[in-house]
Amino acid sequence: MNILVVDDSRIMRNIIKNTLENSRKYGKIRFFEAQDGVTAFREITDNNIDLLLLDWNMPRLNGLDLVKKLRRIEAFETLPIIMITSEAAKYNVIEALKAGVSDYVVKPVPEKKLLQKIERLVCAEVK
Amino acid sequence: MDKEYIMPFVEATEAVFMDFFNEKPELLNPYLIKRTETIDWDISGVIGIAGQTRGVVVISFSDSMACSLTSRLIGSSISEIDDDVVDTIGEVVNIIAGNAKKGFESYRLMISLPSIVKGNDHNIAWPGKNIPIIGIPFSIEEGEFILAVGLENIITNEIVN
Repeated sequence: MNILVVDDSRIMRNIIKNTLENSRKYGKIRFFEAQDGVTAFREITDNNIDLLLLDWNMPRLNGLDLVKKLRRIEAFETLPIIMITSEAAKYNVIEALKAGVSDYVVKPVPEKKLLQKIERLVCAEVK
Repeated sequence: MDKEYIMPFVEATEAVFMDFFNEKPELLNPYLIKRTETIDWDISGVIGIAGQTRGVVVISFSDSMACSLTSRLIGSSISEIDDDVVDTIGEVVNIIAGNAKKGFESYRLMISLPSIVKGNDHNIAWPGKNIPIIGIPFSIEEGEFILAVGLENIITNEIVN
């Protein structure tokens, strides 16, 4: 499974990667990383990404605008995207879901909840 | 002081410290920060708030505490401020500000990207002359740190006094 982790914090990217690796649930994972939406878009178009784990507040292109951009492209209309963000207000969750995220997780990352959401979104396809 | 308005920040701080550093910080007595006060700390993470109000959230640490907390998070020893420390403090203040928005759902608020201010006794230029800035001190194993919050028209002088 190819997973792109997008966050402007390198430490957050490592936390998310470690959470997935330690779960030992998903077999062989190939991680890709990006620190902003512009780099993430390039990674998505250059690689066969199965799952996008995406922060909201980032420089250059934020996560919400990246989602809107991706959903306008046919090839990425159904790409599983989980937004992982500190933005905890209900209106933020609604805005992200309207933009096309598949699911939403509020930081600090609740490990169990994140793994459940990933499992629901992508594991059936991978198996 | 009406604690209702600072509790979203207290709860967010507790959540991020529990998750990142495996310790629940002890809340000490909140107080009103004087605008002319020099920040007696070594490193601060700053988030601006805009939208239906404006404000600021600042978390400040000593050098040694910032390094110690980062060491706890990444699992290797750090003795001086480096990119990992800056990253950690930025993410901590980002999570506190973003989570605390949940406590003010009737206002539509946007948070900025975090900025980091370093250096002994640095100054923070607080926004708006009439916005009270609340200092919310906490204690953890390594000592004390402070969260400072100002939100125009939400945290008012009436609440503080």
